[in-house]
Amino acid sequence: MDKCGMYLGCNIPFKAPDIEQSFYKVFPALGIEVVDMEGATCCPAWGTAPSFDVDTWLAVSGRNITIAEQKNVDIMTGCNSCFGVLSEARHMINHDPERKKTVDRNLGLINRKFQGTSEIYHVSHVLYKNIGVDKIKENITHPLTDLKIAVQPGCHILWPSEVMAVKEKNSFFPTILKELCQALGADVPHYSKLNACCGMGAMRSTDQVRSLGLVKDKLISMQEEIAPDMIVTTCSSCYLQFDGAQKILREKGEIDFQIPVFYYTQLLALCMGFDPKQVAAISETPRDAIIQKIQGATRLVN
Amino acid sequence: MAAINLTKMDKKEVIQKVIENGGTGITKCIQCNACASVCPVAKAGFPLYGRLLFRKLQTGHFEEIIEDSSSWACQACNRCTEICPRDAKPFEMVFAFRRMQANELAISTSAFTPLMNLHATGHAVYSEASKDLRVSVGLSPEPVTSISSEEAQQEMRTLLDNSPMGELGIF
Repeated sequence: MDKCGMYLGCNIPFKAPDIEQSFYKVFPALGIEVVDMEGATCCPAWGTAPSFDVDTWLAVSGRNITIAEQKNVDIMTGCNSCFGVLSEARHMINHDPERKKTVDRNLGLINRKFQGTSEIYHVSHVLYKNIGVDKIKENITHPLTDLKIAVQPGCHILWPSEVMAVKEKNSFFPTILKELCQALGADVPHYSKLNACCGMGAMRSTDQVRSLGLVKDKLISMQEEIAPDMIVTTCSSCYLQFDGAQKILREKGEIDFQIPVFYYTQLLALCMGFDPKQVAAISETPRDAIIQKIQGATRLVN
Repeated sequence: MAAINLTKMDKKEVIQKVIENGGTGITKCIQCNACASVCPVAKAGFPLYGRLLFRKLQTGHFEEIIEDSSSWACQACNRCTEICPRDAKPFEMVFAFRRMQANELAISTSAFTPLMNLHATGHAVYSEASKDLRVSVGLSPEPVTSISSEEAQQEMRTLLDNSPMGELGIF
């Protein structure tokens, strides 16, 4: 793979565009051309079409996939929810002839045809499988020596593993993100609630108190068991939850600590020397101190 | 002896609706509750999940639970489907129930804004404030998605307006 369709979704371009900018910085520098998917829409999010009608979900997801097919590229998503929605849709269309007929009929309304030629990957899959940890190690100028990371892979990149092109050896003990963080030179210890849900998404919009309860449990597990310098995720929803919820929980007096949060490619971009004002500029939980530490002169190699 | 005779949907009718809405594993569920052991909805303390929900559906008690919002907290994480020993795909049953609720307009009020956004812009999540944020990190004010393409927005509206969702009058 030397190029890949960049499926942006909604949260990254509209709430955390510094994550989007980090994609445009790190992938070309590591040999993967980022191909725009013009006219792509929402995946569609779980709370929209998938909550009403399966065939409408498959039509909207199918339309998004046809944009990559027309450019002869696979798709990479930065958002776990988009990855799950598109992966499940593609799997259903490819394995259920009746559903496929309906998708063909619906996409015919807008003069499109689903071919099934583009695979769905997550950003972390492209980094791990196509670029690889060795190449990442070779390209970093600011290693994370003596820094400790709590990783948050998120849910939709792990389950249901049946529909995914890249699988963890054991989805309940995921290691891909851990290895990607170790490639930056960081210490990445296990914590007991590694595979627990952060409470973002549908739960956050249905019941904020219960949603915050889940993220609080995870934060306390991280802090008490490994006291990390930062939390690193490859899910934009987890990113928004961990970053935003800490502020709310501190104001409520439910936690008395704060841990900076990064999307993985933001951290990778910092380790490659890119400008934090472009790749890691927007957050509720302050990151300035840890960014200074990462890009400080004493850490610089080469 | 006199008894109160509650009207309810026929059991077979409810099971058929669950299957039509994507919950094809409903008759495979043997009530083991393995799904609940890994479910964030259960962990967070919502009342209706796992075997309780599936038993209500298997026995035709849809009307009794139609207003319960637990299903709208489902994260679609699929931990349940990963571990179900009967391959009943519990996630698909939860979402089938959610679709049955939605088609009766028993919808979480939080669902409406994303639906309206999706129809208007092609994006469930959108805010005008994003333009300044994007420019501040060196990007164009709008991404190359449907937000900057009237043609793409029209394609989305065509798909939605011609779907069963269009008939619900929510757009």
